[in-house]
Amino acid sequence: MTEAENEILEKVKETLKEEIVEIKIPRKRRIFVKIRRKALKQAVKSLKELGFKHISTITGVDLGENIELIYHFAYKGAVELSLRLDVPKNKPDVPTITDIIPGAILYEREVHDLFGVTFEGHPQMARLILPEKWPEGIYPLRKEYTLENLKKLIFEDGEEE
Amino acid sequence: MGYGSVIKVPFGPQHPALKEPEHFTFEVEGDVVVNVKPRIGYNHRGIEKAFERRTYIQNIYLAERICGICSDAHTTCYTQAIENLLGVEAPPRAKYIRVIIAELERIHSHSLWVGIAAHEIGFDTLFMYVWRDREVVMNLFEMISGNRVNYATNTIGGVRRDIPSEMFPKIKKGLDVLEKRLKYYLDVAQTEQTILKRTSGVGILKPKDAVELCAVGPTLRASGIKNDVRADDPYAAYDEIPFNVVTHDGCDVLSRIIVRCKEMFESINIIRYALDHIPSGMIRVRVPMAVPEGETVSRVEAPRGELIHYAKSNGTMQPERYKVRSPTLGNIPALCKMLLGGRVADIPIVLAGIDPCFACMDRMAFVDLKTNKKWVWTMDELKEHVRRNNL
Repeated sequence: MTEAENEILEKVKETLKEEIVEIKIPRKRRIFVKIRRKALKQAVKSLKELGFKHISTITGVDLGENIELIYHFAYKGAVELSLRLDVPKNKPDVPTITDIIPGAILYEREVHDLFGVTFEGHPQMARLILPEKWPEGIYPLRKEYTLENLKKLIFEDGEEE
Repeated sequence: MGYGSVIKVPFGPQHPALKEPEHFTFEVEGDVVVNVKPRIGYNHRGIEKAFERRTYIQNIYLAERICGICSDAHTTCYTQAIENLLGVEAPPRAKYIRVIIAELERIHSHSLWVGIAAHEIGFDTLFMYVWRDREVVMNLFEMISGNRVNYATNTIGGVRRDIPSEMFPKIKKGLDVLEKRLKYYLDVAQTEQTILKRTSGVGILKPKDAVELCAVGPTLRASGIKNDVRADDPYAAYDEIPFNVVTHDGCDVLSRIIVRCKEMFESINIIRYALDHIPSGMIRVRVPMAVPEGETVSRVEAPRGELIHYAKSNGTMQPERYKVRSPTLGNIPALCKMLLGGRVADIPIVLAGIDPCFACMDRMAFVDLKTNKKWVWTMDELKEHVRRNNL
């Protein structure tokens, strides 16, 4: 770990305090910070003030009961901080961060399409990747959908191949 | 293609052979674009789901096929991620080979783009010239890897093929030819009226907007922001090789042409340095088939900009989750901003300006706000409109 990362980490700890659940540093220039769900907007705001202006993408991960959202931010292009939080699968909604980081606009829509997470306050929470006729409520990157049952679900009307 | 009737653009993987077809709805007032709505996913192949069903070795081949032009960037990003999870590092010689292939790829991708940009503004002579000279780098690829497109160089723990020293003079000779031609093209780009008239002041992306909309790569650097994964978050052997991060503060399409041309000179110098300083030794380490539990974020500066992969392993031979974000998606919000307030005739070159995986973006819908007319043009019809009206 270099000095720059130490400095960033100290500042992150200082501003987010008890909202932080866990911090991991798997290698140099990579930081994973897990926060409480309700602290998302505050965390993104303070990260932006610290210089994390660039969002690289948002990753969704199916954890079973929960869906984990990982927001990958870059600090001056160099240190990649992954901010993570869990949202319950039965009520998967979080506030949008597009009002703070406009560059997140398509990444939120992508996660919405593939994991069914709703980003409240997003200006256009419409389909981005999946086709128009894709059935409602089927989120292909969730683990309960295997390739086999996805095939059955989307080709019900006998249109296969 | 009737005027005054609403035409729905059909969904479909229209061109499975081409990548990333994108659809944009433009709202126009007269000749000025007032709103842009992107709709992507026409060739969404479910690659992230496919990653979860394949072994780490099989996934190298899948990663290679995410993109046809920057195939090496994806495998570099993938193998780095898995090496990080395994706790191994590629041997020094392998890292230099990765740099050489990556920079050759950048030259091939950027010169392909310069050709396309010239074509979009109707300067087909330049297009032919650039693509003829691009063959130099394609031939080098064929000599090194046996392939022109998917070089299959990277593997987990290193590279699959060495570059024997007998090839070094041939590579250097090719680079000399390219350098000479590139000097000419850079000169043409900065002085030729055809290019200046169509690209200068077109598709403006102010530095503030570029940062705010999280643009990446040459698009970001052409707005004067010095940001390059190779320099900021070095991987492979980039921390040992001196090079400049090219920026230009024109913020327009011309600026994007200049940045890419100058980047090719940097690439040539990087390859020359790498060939002169490449360490000897083995080119790969053997790695186990199963990957211990963990997660990692891997980044690479692909020809189009920051490429990021996220990998999560669960101790088996297949990943738990694999996420890919290619640079084109990162540049779409910035692209929409560039198009706003521009003229219909400038749409093709502004679109081409971010170097999207572009060829398949073959349909656009137009809405005239005054008459509420909607219609759809193909790329060719749009170009015809430009030609007819002598815009």
